[in-house]
Amino acid sequence: MATSVLTVSMASFAFTLVQQTKPWPVPDKNAKTTNPVKSDKESLAAGKSLWNLHCASCHGKTGLGDGSKAAQLKTQPQDMTKASLQAQSDGSLYYKISEGRDDMPSFKKKIPDSEDIWNLVNFIRTLKK
Amino acid sequence: MANTRIIRACMVVVFCVSAGNLMAQSLSVKDTLAKKDTTVKRPSIAQDTTTAAPVVKKKSFTKNTFDGNYIIDNQTVMVPIKGTLEFDIQHRFGAVDHGFKDLFGLFASATMKLGFSYTPVNNLQVGFDATNEKMEVDWNLKYALLKQTRDNTLPFSVTLYGNAMMDTRAKDNTTLFVSTSDRFSYFYQLIVARKFSENFSLQIAPSLAHFNNLPGYLDAAGTVQQIYKNDNFLIATSARYKISEGSSIIVNYDQPITQNPANNPRPDISFGIEMRTSGHDFEIFFGNYSSLMPQNNVLFNQNNFRTGQFVLGFNISRLWNF
Repeated sequence: MATSVLTVSMASFAFTLVQQTKPWPVPDKNAKTTNPVKSDKESLAAGKSLWNLHCASCHGKTGLGDGSKAAQLKTQPQDMTKASLQAQSDGSLYYKISEGRDDMPSFKKKIPDSEDIWNLVNFIRTLKK
Repeated sequence: MANTRIIRACMVVVFCVSAGNLMAQSLSVKDTLAKKDTTVKRPSIAQDTTTAAPVVKKKSFTKNTFDGNYIIDNQTVMVPIKGTLEFDIQHRFGAVDHGFKDLFGLFASATMKLGFSYTPVNNLQVGFDATNEKMEVDWNLKYALLKQTRDNTLPFSVTLYGNAMMDTRAKDNTTLFVSTSDRFSYFYQLIVARKFSENFSLQIAPSLAHFNNLPGYLDAAGTVQQIYKNDNFLIATSARYKISEGSSIIVNYDQPITQNPANNPRPDISFGIEMRTSGHDFEIFFGNYSSLMPQNNVLFNQNNFRTGQFVLGFNISRLWNF
């Protein structure tokens, strides 16, 4: 009994360590930037295409963070369906896609048109569950 | 008894550390939200800002007419975005018509090419390739002259492609080089393409291959006669149909136009699958062209699709953005 409790305790301890995520500060100016691209059919189609090309391999086709490359990464890709992520401003998502951090690459050179990154942000909003 | 006490003590310590860890994490997140991390916003607040939106230049050009620089043996109308470095690995096996004798060409001699290209400024790409076929190398340029617009004010895209290829083999009785210029040949292409829908794109490319020096023969009177003309025209037609977000069916038909005194080149049919990812482009296909330098295919292709002389080939492209 004592051994079982000890095992569970240690597992919970390890779990709390794994669950820690490093904060990703976004400059106020970027976080407050409004999305100038209307989330219409054309924007969402363009965003979906970019998502499948650049993002799905890590974040998963439906945004759960379960892409084919996810297991090889040092950090778990963000679950884009979560309310906490969806609560971030469009400007914050734009900043993170553009700048990248650690395993998340910067896409400002690969996706040079800002309109395309906004299209991607618009598509990410459709992943919310 | 003593052991039980130790275990209990351990449990208490672990629980305390675990609980403390959770509390610390919770406090850290709260603290971060309060002081540092401005990324988490309430939805009602997220868009309720006064910061002026950056001016987004409404791009009027049609994007992704094709997925990469190559469509099997042809160049596409696409020029990568500025700062893109591309590394190409291409391979053509032998013709499949010998069946099990050479395992449908897999054990036959193969042609390989390695190439690099870079886009230093918008719409212009420079490249270099080397192939094991006759130890040839080429330098090439590709320039996007016109781009199809979304509103169809310009319904097609036009790109110019050209290369200068050098045969670098040693000079001997078989290579017939008199001067350095004899080693050179050129290939020019005017590529006109239209993206008809998200899934379907088509391009037509009038092409010219020029060889400075070509083999001939001596007739009965001892006069040198040409086998080939130095300039050969060809029309290349290519199409892509997307079958999913990352995969497409790709086809080519290349029709030689010039009539040569002998050994007229044969047309080419090729078809295959293309798969695109963020940093790679893969193509695997069957076709009649076995060379990896375009002017060689224009003039020297003798594989006949009517008799099943297809070769298996693949193109792999790795892309980096700087």
